[in-house]
Amino acid sequence: MTAITTDQTQSLESIRRARLRRYWKNLKENWRLFSEDKIGMLGLGIIIFYALLAAAHPILMNTVWSPKVYDPFIGNDPQVFENPSPPSWRHILGTDPMGRDVLSQLMFSTRNEFVLGFLAATITVVLATSVGAMAAYYGGWLDSLFMRLADLINILPFIALLVVLSAFIKMNLWVLAIVLGILSGFGGTTIIFKAQALTIKVKPYIESAKVAGGNDWHVVFYHIVPNLMPLAFLNMMFTVTGAIFAEAALSFFGLLNVRMSWGIMIYTTQAAGYMLRGIDYWYLILPAGLSITFLCTAFYLIGRALDSVVNPRLRQR
Amino acid sequence: MAEQPLLSVRSFTLEYKTRKGYVSAVDNVSFDLMAGQAMGLVGESGCGKTTVAMALLRLSPDNAVVRQGQLLLDGQDMLTMSEAQMRDVRWARISMVFQAAMNALDPVYRVGDQIIEALERHKSDLSLEQKRQTVEELFTLVGIDTKMINRYPHEFSGGMRQRAVIAMALACSPSLIIADEPTTALDVIVQDQILRELTRIQKALNMSMIYISHDIAVIAEVADIIGVMYAGCLVEKAHTRTIFQSPRHRYTKALLSAFPSIAGPKSELVALPGDPPDLLMPPPGCRFHPRCEYAIDRCRQEKPPFVQVGDAHWAACWNPL
Amino acid sequence: MNTATIPLVRVKDLKMFFPVSTSIMRQAKNFIHAVDNISFDIPAGSSLALVGESGCGKTTTGKLLTRLYTPTAGHIYLQDGAELVDLVTLRGKNLKRFRRRVQMIFQDPYESLNPRLTIFDTVAEPLMVQNIGTLQEREERVATLLEKVGLTPASSFLFRYPHELSGGQRQRVAIARALVIEPSFIVADEPTSMLDVSIRTGVMSLMMELAKDMGLSYLYITHDLAVARYTSDEIAVMYMGKIVEHGPTENILANPLHPYTQALISAVPIPDPAIHREPPVIKGGVSQPIDPLPRCRFYDRCPKQHSACQEEPAMKRVDGRKVMCWLYN
Repeated sequence: MTAITTDQTQSLESIRRARLRRYWKNLKENWRLFSEDKIGMLGLGIIIFYALLAAAHPILMNTVWSPKVYDPFIGNDPQVFENPSPPSWRHILGTDPMGRDVLSQLMFSTRNEFVLGFLAATITVVLATSVGAMAAYYGGWLDSLFMRLADLINILPFIALLVVLSAFIKMNLWVLAIVLGILSGFGGTTIIFKAQALTIKVKPYIESAKVAGGNDWHVVFYHIVPNLMPLAFLNMMFTVTGAIFAEAALSFFGLLNVRMSWGIMIYTTQAAGYMLRGIDYWYLILPAGLSITFLCTAFYLIGRALDSVVNPRLRQR
Repeated sequence: MAEQPLLSVRSFTLEYKTRKGYVSAVDNVSFDLMAGQAMGLVGESGCGKTTVAMALLRLSPDNAVVRQGQLLLDGQDMLTMSEAQMRDVRWARISMVFQAAMNALDPVYRVGDQIIEALERHKSDLSLEQKRQTVEELFTLVGIDTKMINRYPHEFSGGMRQRAVIAMALACSPSLIIADEPTTALDVIVQDQILRELTRIQKALNMSMIYISHDIAVIAEVADIIGVMYAGCLVEKAHTRTIFQSPRHRYTKALLSAFPSIAGPKSELVALPGDPPDLLMPPPGCRFHPRCEYAIDRCRQEKPPFVQVGDAHWAACWNPL
Repeated sequence: MNTATIPLVRVKDLKMFFPVSTSIMRQAKNFIHAVDNISFDIPAGSSLALVGESGCGKTTTGKLLTRLYTPTAGHIYLQDGAELVDLVTLRGKNLKRFRRRVQMIFQDPYESLNPRLTIFDTVAEPLMVQNIGTLQEREERVATLLEKVGLTPASSFLFRYPHELSGGQRQRVAIARALVIEPSFIVADEPTSMLDVSIRTGVMSLMMELAKDMGLSYLYITHDLAVARYTSDEIAVMYMGKIVEHGPTENILANPLHPYTQALISAVPIPDPAIHREPPVIKGGVSQPIDPLPRCRFYDRCPKQHSACQEEPAMKRVDGRKVMCWLYN
C-alpha cells in the first residue's frame, strides 16, 4: 500500500469515535422508527409481559410459593378438597384436574414456548436464506432440486405430516423445534427468499463485488443473504407463531414427549374429560389458550413493525 | 398589442406536507405563455419543474398544499375550478406527455383503443367510426404506420411508443401541451426525430407547449422562451437567444458553463460545487447563495424579487451579470 | 511515438454471442451477435470513449473487459511488465490477481452500492476480498480516498449509508471504491448519465484529474458524444456489435467519415440557438443483431449504399483514424 500523508488523513482515533457514534446513532434511530408503530409496541408489550412471567416463576418458587404445593408437575394443595378447583386467593387461576396450580404451570411453560419458538425460527431462517440465495444464484439443477423439495413439503399437510413423524421419532421440544425448523426452512419460505434473492442478484453492486474479485461464496453470503435479512426477520416472527401453534396442536393430540407446555395443559384438561363440561371450567382452557393466541399475535405484530426498521431503503425514498 | 396570454401563472407557491415538516417545492413562480408559444422549463432534479406541470393539471399528490397564487387559463383561475370543471380542462385544453411515457400505455389494451378512450371522454358526440378516423389521422400526424393501431404497446419500439403517447396527448386538440422530459430515455437519433415531429406539430396546430427538461441543448432547439428554475424558484426568464447570449442570473450562467457541447471550440467546463438545498429548510434570502461565488450580503438576507431586467427578460438576482 | 511501446489494453477479435432461446431440451440455434469481432488498443495514460446507441454492444464490451462475461472468442490483453497477458485465459486465483488491475464504475448511483453496507464497508470491500492490509490500514486508505474524491471530512462519510447521500456523492463513493486497490485501468459505464448536469461536470472533472494524478486509463462508455468529447482522447463508434470508426476525438467530431458517425453527430442537439443543425441522414430503426447477414451491418439504414456493401468491409486507416466502410476502401 502506498504511503499515506498524515495531513490528509483523519487520525485513527477520530475514525474509531466516528464508528462508535454511528452505532449508537443507528440504535437510537432504529428504536425511534420501531416505537413509532403503536401496534408493534403493543406486540412488544405482550412479549415483555410473558418474558417477565417466565422470569418470575423461579423467583416465586424460591420465595413465596412452597414447592410442595406449587410445583407445576407434582404440586398438590392439601387445603383444596376437590380438583380441579376454581380460582381462589391461594390459586389465582385455580388448580387443574391433577391438583396442580394453573398459574404456576402457565408461567413455567412460557419459557419453553420462547425457546421452542426461537430455536425453530432461527433454524428456518438460516436454512431458508442460504438455500434460497444459493438456488437463486446458481440456478440450474440446484435451483430445480430445492424448488421441487419445497413444492413437496408444501403439498403435504403440515399437521398430518407432524403426526406421522411423531410415530417414528420421539419428539420432545428440542426435536420438535429442529423438525419444524427444517420443514419450514426447506418449504415455502425458501421460495419467498429465492424470489427476493433473484431481484438482488441482478443489482449492479453484485457485479461490482465480482469485479473486485469476490468469489461466489462471498457474493452469496456477504451481499445476497444480508439483503434478505429484512424478509428473514419478518419470516422469523411468523415461524415462531407457527411453531408455538404446532406444538400446542401436537400436544393436544398427545403426540409429544413433553412434560409441560401450554398445549399439555389443554391436553390434560381434555384427557380428564373437562373440555366440554361448560363454562365453569374456563380456567382450565382459557389461560393456556389465550396465552397461545396472545403470544403468537405479539410476534406477528412485532414482525410487521420491524419491517421499516430493518430495511434502510424502505424508510427513505 | 395587448393580447391576453393563454396561460398565466401568478405568484404560485406550493408546499408538500411530510412527516418532517413542509417542503417548499415551488416558491412564488410567475410567468405568462402566449398561444402558439413554446416555453422551455429547465432546471435540475428537485427544482420544482415537474411540480409546476402537475399543478397545472391539478394532478398534484395528496399532500400538496397550495399556499398562494393563481393558474389562469384564458383568464379563468384553475385553482378555483371544481373537479368536474377540471376534468373538462384536462386533455381537452391542456394535456401532458408524462416523463415515464413508456408506462403511460396500459399493456393489456391495444394502443388505438387507448386513444379512443381519451376521445370518449371529451368528444363523445363523435361516432365510433369518426373516432377511429381521428386516431388514424393522429397516427399519420406523429409518423406511425396506421397498421399499428390495433397492436399492443409491447409491439412498439421505444420511439414509437413515445409517438403514440404524443398522439394520445393531441387527441382532443388541446391548446396547451406539457411535455415532461419526453425524450430522456431515447437514443439520440430517435430523440432528434421526436423533437422535430413535436416542433412541427406544435407550429402546424399553433399549440402552446411547455417543454420540461434538464437538457438545455434540447431546450435550445425547441423553445421560443426559456424559464430557468432552481430550488423551487423561477430565477430567469427570457427569449432563447437572450438566455444563451446574455444570461443575467448567476445560476443560468453556471448551468450554461457546465454543459458540454459537441460543436464549437472545446471550452473549459466549470463545475458547480455543492448540492441543491434541502427544501425542508431552504437557505434564507436567495436560495442559490450558498453555491454562488458572487453572493453579496444582501443575497444571504433578502430574497431577490423576479424583476424585468431587459426586453422580455426577467431575473431574480441581487448581483446579476 | 515509440511504436515498440506496448499498449495498456489490447482487445483483439473479441466476440460475444448470446443464445436467443434457452431451454434445457434444445440447443440454441440463433445467436445475438452482441460484440462481433472488435479490436482496439488503449495506450497507457490515455482514455477511449466507446459510443453508440442502446443495443450496440458497448456495455457488453465493458463487461467483457472486466471479465463479468467470458467471451465467445477473442483476446483481451493486459500489460504486465514488458509482456501482454490474455485475461481470457486466466482462471481462479490468477484471474483474481488480475482483477486488481482492472476496475469498473457503474451507471446507476442508486443501485451500485449495497444499501446495507456503510460507505466504509463498500469502499473497503475490494481490499477485504483481495486480502490487502489490516483493518487499521484499510481504514486509513479509505479515509484518504474519500477525501481525494471530494467527500470531506471523511470521518463524517465513513459510516453513513448510501441512502443518506446524494447521487453525485454516491458516484464519488463508487469512484473511490474503484480506486482503492490501485488499478491501472477503469471501465466507466455511463457514470454520469443519471446525474444532474451541474453535478455531472464535477464528477467528470474529478475522473479526469484522477486519471492524470494516478496514471489511469479509462474505457469511457457513453451514448453522449458531448461527454465523450470532454473525457476522452479517442473515440470508437459502435454499431450492432462492430466498431465502425475509431480515432482521435476532435478529429472524428470535426470530420466524421462513416455514414453512421455522421448521422450520430448530426443528431446531437447543440446548446446554442444560433447554430442551426441539419437533420441526420439515416433510415429506419435499430434492430437486434440476431444472426446478421455477412454484409455491412449498417447497410439497411445507410444513405450511401452501393453494391459493394453486400460484403463486410475491412477496417482501413484513413485520415488519421480507422473506418469500416466501402466508401473508403
